[in-house]
Amino acid sequence: MTITTGPDTDLVQAALEQVWESMLYAVAEPVPSTAGALANGLEATITVSGAWNGELRLFCDAGAAQQMAATMLGAPADEELPDLDVHDAVGEILNVVGGSVKGALEGESRLGLPQVRPATSLPDPADCVAVSWRGAPVYVQIVSQPA
Amino acid sequence: MSIGADAFGFVRDHVRAESAIVLETGKEYLVESRLLPLARQTGHDSVDTFVAELRRTRNPALLRQVVEALTTNETSFFRDADPFVALRQDVLPTLAKERPGRSLRIWAAACSSGQEPYSIAMTMRDTPEVAGWKVDIVATDLSEEVLAKARKGEYSQLEVNRGLPVTTLVKHFQRSGINWRINPDLAAMVQFRQLNLMRPFGPVGRFDVVFLRNVLIYFDLATKRDILRRVRQVMAPDGYLFLGAAEMTMGVDDAWERVPAGRSSVYRIREDQRSCVR
Amino acid sequence: MRALIVDDSRAMRRIVGRILTERGFETSEAADGQEAVAVLESMDDLPAVACIDWNMPVMDGLELVTAIRARPEWRDITLMMVTTESEQDRIVRALAAGAHEYLIKPFTPDALVEKLDLLGLVPTPGGVA
Repeated sequence: MTITTGPDTDLVQAALEQVWESMLYAVAEPVPSTAGALANGLEATITVSGAWNGELRLFCDAGAAQQMAATMLGAPADEELPDLDVHDAVGEILNVVGGSVKGALEGESRLGLPQVRPATSLPDPADCVAVSWRGAPVYVQIVSQPA
Repeated sequence: MSIGADAFGFVRDHVRAESAIVLETGKEYLVESRLLPLARQTGHDSVDTFVAELRRTRNPALLRQVVEALTTNETSFFRDADPFVALRQDVLPTLAKERPGRSLRIWAAACSSGQEPYSIAMTMRDTPEVAGWKVDIVATDLSEEVLAKARKGEYSQLEVNRGLPVTTLVKHFQRSGINWRINPDLAAMVQFRQLNLMRPFGPVGRFDVVFLRNVLIYFDLATKRDILRRVRQVMAPDGYLFLGAAEMTMGVDDAWERVPAGRSSVYRIREDQRSCVR
Repeated sequence: MRALIVDDSRAMRRIVGRILTERGFETSEAADGQEAVAVLESMDDLPAVACIDWNMPVMDGLELVTAIRARPEWRDITLMMVTTESEQDRIVRALAAGAHEYLIKPFTPDALVEKLDLLGLVPTPGGVA
């Protein structure tokens, strides 16, 4: 049986750093992962299939999502973006992170389309990368799935 | 959300006064993107309001950070493009006629994380007149830390997006995890060494081409003069010196003459000064 | 000078649009390859450049590049892929299909503008093509 290596937390961390720096004007500083409830949160998911099969799941607070979207889109900080725009922006952030991760893996894999929905709890800290977005935690969970 | 003309003018004038680096119109996006992190860190959500406050307070530390943000070795591959065009179209073909030994030595004298010497290596490879030649590129910098990165020859997605035509990227680099790595045949052309320009260079040999770009700006006039004099001593009499886009030898060292090579700052030792170099 | 932005992400279209507008381009948009073809067919003055995402529904970026390059009347449009696809062989495939340039996401605004500069795609003040 061949075991195909998927992404590890270092790779996801590196991908987040590049996206934070270039598109979000911030530094992706690691923060401690804690499980628990997420008041008014968002979860974005993207599938990877091919040489590795799995998902990347991004979790953050809705307030952080608003600000990340505003920064990314160049909107003024006080503009209240509609949910649709926020979800689209967060989905695209995960899409770009996913692309960097996928491109670093051995073999050929494809990205699915990002899905974004409300979330109320944080993932298990194992296999999670947690970074700061200007003080607010953003989690990216690596989920491996059988082919 | 882009920087206004007033704010841009203020930043441009200040940067020029402090560093001799000129930000022409068209560079507004650059100023915006480089200063936005600084603006955010100081509680502003736009560069315009940040600059407005800066003009009022004239905070020296912040003013310095503004200059740094805009001049810090945004070293990138084929930085400014023109010098490498000049190298390929004028300098190398001319030298190719003058070197029966079919070998060249080049010094990248402030090589930072390596993009410049690797860009020189790629240019050598892609210039037919010298493609098969023996080329030694000596790349030096003051910092061992950046030299370590340079030796690795690995660059991030963000770094390879800059300055590299994509055809050049796929030709001369390989994926390496999340990064890109320069191909071994090009890496083999470059030797990295630590060197402090303010100190004697030591036995570095003679060079046909010297890149001394965007580093003299950090020194005072007397030091600039001294460095240029010592650079002359390690150059072949008919060799070429490349300076940064806004730099010139005029007023610093009159032993050089400017060479017409596109829009670049390229210099050679004046004929009447060449015997001193032998 | 005109530019066409093709990406299924509204956020991306907005980001690229902002960079190009600030640079002096007049921009048009499409959310997939098929829409892009329709937009091009409806234009009297063609764009100088099209920034094209790869992964889109209906008609993806590679198919769009191929479709554009197949039409002689669209030969002068510079095609730059702007995409997360970053594997060497993917890039080579895009170039083989006729793409002129390639920008990997994530990218900084500088990087996009520099790529356009390198291609000579610099709008002149006053808006003349």
